[in-house]
Amino acid sequence: MSKRLLAAAVAAVLAVAGCGGSEEASDPNTLKLWHYEGPDSAMGVAWAEAIKQFEATHPGVKVQFEEKGFEQIQKTASMVLNSKDAPDILEYNKGNATAGLLSKQGLLTDLGEEVAKRGWDKKLGPGIDTTAKYDERGVMGSGKWYGIPNYAEYVMVYYNKTMFDQQGLAAPTTFDELTAAMDKFAKAGVTPLALGGAEYPAAQLFYQLALTKADREWVDRFQRYTGPVDFHDNTWVFGAETFAKWLREGYFSKDSAGVKAEDMGLSFMQGKHPIMVSGSWWYGRVQAQVKDFEWAAVPWPGMTSGSSGNLWVVPKGSKNKQLAYDFIEITMSPAIQDKLRDAGGIPVAPSATPATDPRTKQLNDDFQALVDGDRLAFYPDWPAPGFYDAQVSSVQKVITGQIGAHEALTELADYYEENTASVGK
Amino acid sequence: MSLVPASIRDRGSYLLFLIPGGLLLLAVILVPFAMNVGISLTEWSGAGTPEWVGLDNYTRLMSDGTFWASFRHNVGLVVAMAILPTLAGLVIAAALFDFIGKHFGSRHAAVLRACVYLPQVLPIAVAGIVWSWILAPRDGALNEVLRAVGLDALAQNWLGDPDLALFTVMGVLLWIQVGYPVVIFMAGMGRVDPSLHEAAELDGASWWGRFFHVTVPQIRPEIFVVLLTCTIAALKVFAPIYVLTRGGPGGSTNVPSYYSFQNFFEKTQVGYGAAVATVLTVLILLLTAVFLRVQNRGER
Amino acid sequence: MRRHAVLWSMILLAAVMLAPFVLVALNAVKTPAEYSTGGPLDLPDGISLEGIVAFWERVDFGEKLWNSVVISGSVAVLAVVVSVFNAYALGIGRVRGRLWILVAFLVANTLPQEALVYPLYFLANEVGLYDTKLAVIVIFTVIQAAFGTYLLTSTLGGFPRELLEAARIDGATKWQTLVRIVVPISRPTLGVLFVFFFIWTWNEFFLPLVLLISNENQTVPVALGVLQGQRMMDATMTSASALLGVIPAIVFFLIFQRALTRGITAGAVK
Repeated sequence: MSKRLLAAAVAAVLAVAGCGGSEEASDPNTLKLWHYEGPDSAMGVAWAEAIKQFEATHPGVKVQFEEKGFEQIQKTASMVLNSKDAPDILEYNKGNATAGLLSKQGLLTDLGEEVAKRGWDKKLGPGIDTTAKYDERGVMGSGKWYGIPNYAEYVMVYYNKTMFDQQGLAAPTTFDELTAAMDKFAKAGVTPLALGGAEYPAAQLFYQLALTKADREWVDRFQRYTGPVDFHDNTWVFGAETFAKWLREGYFSKDSAGVKAEDMGLSFMQGKHPIMVSGSWWYGRVQAQVKDFEWAAVPWPGMTSGSSGNLWVVPKGSKNKQLAYDFIEITMSPAIQDKLRDAGGIPVAPSATPATDPRTKQLNDDFQALVDGDRLAFYPDWPAPGFYDAQVSSVQKVITGQIGAHEALTELADYYEENTASVGK
Repeated sequence: MSLVPASIRDRGSYLLFLIPGGLLLLAVILVPFAMNVGISLTEWSGAGTPEWVGLDNYTRLMSDGTFWASFRHNVGLVVAMAILPTLAGLVIAAALFDFIGKHFGSRHAAVLRACVYLPQVLPIAVAGIVWSWILAPRDGALNEVLRAVGLDALAQNWLGDPDLALFTVMGVLLWIQVGYPVVIFMAGMGRVDPSLHEAAELDGASWWGRFFHVTVPQIRPEIFVVLLTCTIAALKVFAPIYVLTRGGPGGSTNVPSYYSFQNFFEKTQVGYGAAVATVLTVLILLLTAVFLRVQNRGER
Repeated sequence: MRRHAVLWSMILLAAVMLAPFVLVALNAVKTPAEYSTGGPLDLPDGISLEGIVAFWERVDFGEKLWNSVVISGSVAVLAVVVSVFNAYALGIGRVRGRLWILVAFLVANTLPQEALVYPLYFLANEVGLYDTKLAVIVIFTVIQAAFGTYLLTSTLGGFPRELLEAARIDGATKWQTLVRIVVPISRPTLGVLFVFFFIWTWNEFFLPLVLLISNENQTVPVALGVLQGQRMMDATMTSASALLGVIPAIVFFLIFQRALTRGITAGAVK
C-alpha cells in the first residue's frame, strides 16, 4: 500500500465513522421510544398499534421507535439515562433491583401527578400496582409512582392432556393431584416434569413449592422487608424438602441441572415430558407450536410467582414528558388492552367484553382469580441485586447433589442478609 | 547485535514514532485503569456518588472463597486455551505445512487450515447456542452419537455436572482457540530456510526428528507470541463462560472476569467488581513482564 | 500409505471443526414449528428462508453489516499503522527502556474489558463521544495495536541491519526508511495483523453493547444479542442470525487467505 493510498484510506474511514454519530438534538415533534418485546409477542403487537394511534391523534409528531435487547437495557440503563442520548420513554424491568434501583438513583420521573389526573391507579388492581411504586430506598409497594405496567404474568402448570388421558389422569388442580399424577408417570417410566436448572425455571419451582404454604404476610416480609425473614421456617423448609423429594422420586431429572429454559420449553412442546411449571410468557408459543397433542394449563395450587409485567418509565432527562404520558394513556386504553389480550397476553385493564378465543379467555379468567385471591407473590430473585445468579447456583447444587436442601436455604439466607443490610443505602 | 552502527543506535528521534500510540494508550487505557483503581477504593452502585471505603474491598477479597475458586478454575482454562492449543497447533501446523503441503499441494493445506481457523471467526454468542445444542444432556448431538455407537455409559450431562462442566468448557475453548496458533505457526514455518531441513534429512533424521530439531527451534518467536497472547486471553476469558454456563453449575466454572462482571452489572457492587478486575490485571501484568524478560533473554 | 493416514486424520479434524457450522446452517433454514417438534438435530424438511428474512428485516441487518464493516475496517487499518510506528521505535530503534514501554502497551491487551467499561463510558460521555462509532474505533485501535506492537517488535527485532544501513548511506530519513524499506518487507506480517484485527473487532460484543446505544450505530454481534428477548429466544431465528453473522466473516477470511499464506515474520530478504 503506498503512503498516499494509506492516508486516503485513513481519511475516508474517519470521515465515515465521524458522521452518523449522535442524534440531532431532541426534537419537540419526536417521541423517542424504546422497548424490547419481539414484534410477534402480545406486547409487541399491542404497542405497534398504540404507536399508530398515537401518531393519528398527534398530527405532526413522529414516534421514533427502537427495538432493544433485554440484556442491553438491563446492563446499560443507568449509563444511558445519565447521558443526553436517553429516550423519552422506555420499557424497563420491574422490581427492587431494577426499576427500584433507577428510582433510587434519581434517574426516573415521578409519575404521581399524572397517575392521579388520568386515573391509572384505578386501572391497576392491588398486587399489580405493587411494582409501580417505590419508596426512597428503592423498595416496591409504597412511595412514589415511577412506572406504569400494561400487562401481567404468572407461573402456572402446563400439562400434556393427551398423556394425562393415556394414564387416566384428570387436570392436576390440587397439590395432591399434581403429586399423584407425577408419581404415576414416574412409575410408568416417564420423567413427568420438564425443568431447566441452568436458568430461572428450577429456582422458580423451588420458590413455587414454598409458596404452597405461604401467605401474603410471608411474601411481604421476603419481598418488601416488612419483617424478619427466617429461611428455616416451615414454609421454606417445606419448599426445599419437597424439591429434594421430587428429585429423589425422579419427578424431574438430575440432568436438568445443565438445561436452559429454552430447552425445557422445547422438551415440553415435543411431548417428552407431560408437565411444565413455568410462566405465562410461554403461553402464546405453546399455543402456536404444539400440534401433536392436546394441552391445557391450570393455576398453581396456592400463591404463585407472578406480578405486573415490565413498566413504562419516563427518564428524568426526557424532553417530551407530556408526549410520553399521552402514549402511556393510549396503551392503557381498552382498545389497546384488548388487542394485547387477543394477541395472547394478560392485560391489566381490559374492556368489559370477554375474549372470543376460549384459551385466551381461560388464561385471563385464571389470572383474575389469582388477583381476586391476592395470590401473586412476585419472583424469587427480586429482593436482592444479583440474587438470581445465587439462586440458580444454589438450586443447581441441590440438583447435582453437591449440597442438601437445608444447605441451599442457608446459602440463600446468607445472600439475602448480606443485601438487606445495605437496603436503602 | 553490538555490530549495529552508532547512527542506527541514535535513539532520540525514534521516540517520535511512539507519540501517537502513547497518547492513545494514555487516554483509552492508562487513565481509565487509574480510574478503575480509584473506583475499587469506594462502594458504589454505578450511579450517584461513590462512598470512600479505602482498602475494604481488598480485605474482603482476601477472604472471599468464590474469588479464589474462580482463580483455580482459571488455571484449567489456561491449559485449555494456551498450552494445549500451542502443542496441538504445532503438530497440526507441521502436518499441514510439511506433509500435506508437500505431498498434496499447498492448496489442500490452505483449505484445511481455513477449516481449523473458522471457529475463531464465529461470533461467540452463536458458538454458545450451538454448543449447548451439541452438549444437551438428553438429546444433544454428542450423547446421541455416543448412544448410536453403543457407548451409552459415556453419555454425560456435560454442562450440568459440576465435576465435568469445567472440562467441557475447556474442550469448547480448545475448539475455538486452536486455529489461531495453526495460522501463526504455518506462517512462521514459511520463513524457515529449507536448506536446514535438507541438511537434517541427509543426516537421516525422521519427520519427527526434523520437527523437534529444526521446525520448533526455528519458530520459537512465534511460539512465544502465541503462548503469551493465549495466556492473557485465557486469564481474561469472559464471553464463552457467559454464553455456556454463566459460571455454573453451582459456581464450578466461575472465573475472575465473569465474577467482576457479576459484581458490576448483576449485584451493582461496582467498587468490589473494580477490585476484582484490578487484582486480575496486576496479576496478568506481572506474568507478562516475566514472560517478556524470558523471551528477551532467549533472543540474545 | 502413511501419507493418506495423515491426510485423512487432518480431514477428520477439519470435519470436527466444521460440524457446529453445519448445525447452524441446518437450523437456519427450518420453520419454528419444525424446530419445536424435531429439535435442533433433525434434518429440515425443506429450505425455509422465513427466519433469515424475518431477522434481516427486524434488525435492519444491512445497516448493522455496514456499521461492523466500518468499525472493523477502520480499526484494522489504524491499529496496523499504530503498531508499525510503535514497533519501528521499539524493535528497530531499540529505544531505551523498551521492555517496560512494551509492557505498558500490553496493559491495553491485558485489562479485562469489564474494568474499563465505567471509566470509558464516563470519559466518552464527557467529550461527547458516547454512542458514536468513533469512540469504539479509537478504543479498539488501542487494544488491538497492543498485540500488533508486541508481535511486530519481536519480528522486527530480527530485521536485516544491512538494509537499514544502506538506506542511511543513501541519505534516507527515518521516515523514508520506514515507508520504503521496513513496511514493504514486513507486508506479509502486516497482512496477517490486518486480518486478525478485523476478525477480532468484528466479534467484539461487550464494549459495543455498552457504548453503542442507538440502533443506527449497532454492530452485528450486538444485533444478534437483540434477539435474546426477556425470557425467550426463538431458535430458528437465532440460527438464522448466526448464519448471517458468520457469512461475512467467512467471506472476509477467504478474501484474505492469501495474506495469511505469506508469513508473519519479516523473512530473510533474498
